[in-house]
Amino acid sequence: MKTKLLTLLTGAAIIGSASMASAHFQMIYTPEMAVTKGGTIPLKLVFTHPFDAGHTMDMGKAEQFFVLRTRGENAPKRTDLLDTLQPISWKGIGNTGKAWETTYKARGGDHIFCLIPEPYWEKSDSFYIKQNTKVIVNVGGEPGAWNEPVGLPTEIVPLTKPYDTWTGNVFQGRVLFNGKPVPNAEIEVEFLNHAMVLDSNSFAKEAEVEAPQDAFVLQTIFADDNGVFTYGIPRAGWWGFAALDLDPDYTYKGKKCSRDAVIWVQAKDMK
Amino acid sequence: MFLKTFVVAVSLLVSATIAQAHTPLCSCFDNGDDTITCEGGFSDGSSAAGVSIRLETLDGRILLEGKMNEDSEFTFDKPKGDYIVMFDAGEGHQIKVPGKEIVE
Repeated sequence: MKTKLLTLLTGAAIIGSASMASAHFQMIYTPEMAVTKGGTIPLKLVFTHPFDAGHTMDMGKAEQFFVLRTRGENAPKRTDLLDTLQPISWKGIGNTGKAWETTYKARGGDHIFCLIPEPYWEKSDSFYIKQNTKVIVNVGGEPGAWNEPVGLPTEIVPLTKPYDTWTGNVFQGRVLFNGKPVPNAEIEVEFLNHAMVLDSNSFAKEAEVEAPQDAFVLQTIFADDNGVFTYGIPRAGWWGFAALDLDPDYTYKGKKCSRDAVIWVQAKDMK
Repeated sequence: MFLKTFVVAVSLLVSATIAQAHTPLCSCFDNGDDTITCEGGFSDGSSAAGVSIRLETLDGRILLEGKMNEDSEFTFDKPKGDYIVMFDAGEGHQIKVPGKEIVE
């Protein structure tokens, strides 16, 4: 009985801390994940709450930012982009936060952008958040190694291409910690509800959709025993998936640090 | 006899499926040093190493013939006049890229 109660209490504490960490999403944004022709693409790194765009969190200097280019059966080529990042101010609805930008010359195939950020101190929750983030841009339609793990400490590996999703398709991913699937991982899902205006480094004031109730702002789903999760995409646009706290005992500078894994999907309407 | 028919039918089915799921792709880029690199491949991610590639004038005269290298790439000196790149992986698997559409 005592054990059961303890389990219940521990469970409640975990759920409590996880929901407090909700709605943070690290972005690697470029307007188009499925590029028709190669060329130079803009990239903006912004740490935000994408549904309401209300508070833009200050990003520190990233620990790693690189891209793996894979095309067909060719071996992956890694390009370090960390030193190309320039600081910018990103304007949210409620404030302005520190963000980063760069540009990248993309030729054919898959370009897997990977960001390992500096942990962010979330004052209101008294813990750090570190969201290792992946965005896959494809040029010309020829696939590469989009469905293979990059080897990030925390990672979501897509099982469906994140760049060729029709509205109404499902997106599937596998959550990994140190390369191993995380059974029953908790995943938060959020829609990028305010367009990103690249010229002015800001979110558009107008929201695309209105949530009928708070539960719809941030949806929570769970992976199965193999770390695989499935989500039906109901609307065109950018959808963020954040698997939370994959290394529960991890600390940074003596404080609790939630090690998360984020991936983004861009869905398109059939028309 | 039955078995033979079955095997033929199955192999036809298989080859038909492969052909449908296997769209040729070719993108060319100006390297900015008077050379052009063309990258070939297929929509299923399979290699285009060894696939024929030709440069032709607009009236069909062949300027250069070659094959995609092991990375499914082909680099050539940029011709002076108008030209077309022809990626030729066999009937129904050809792609034409007009030279004037090739940019950095």
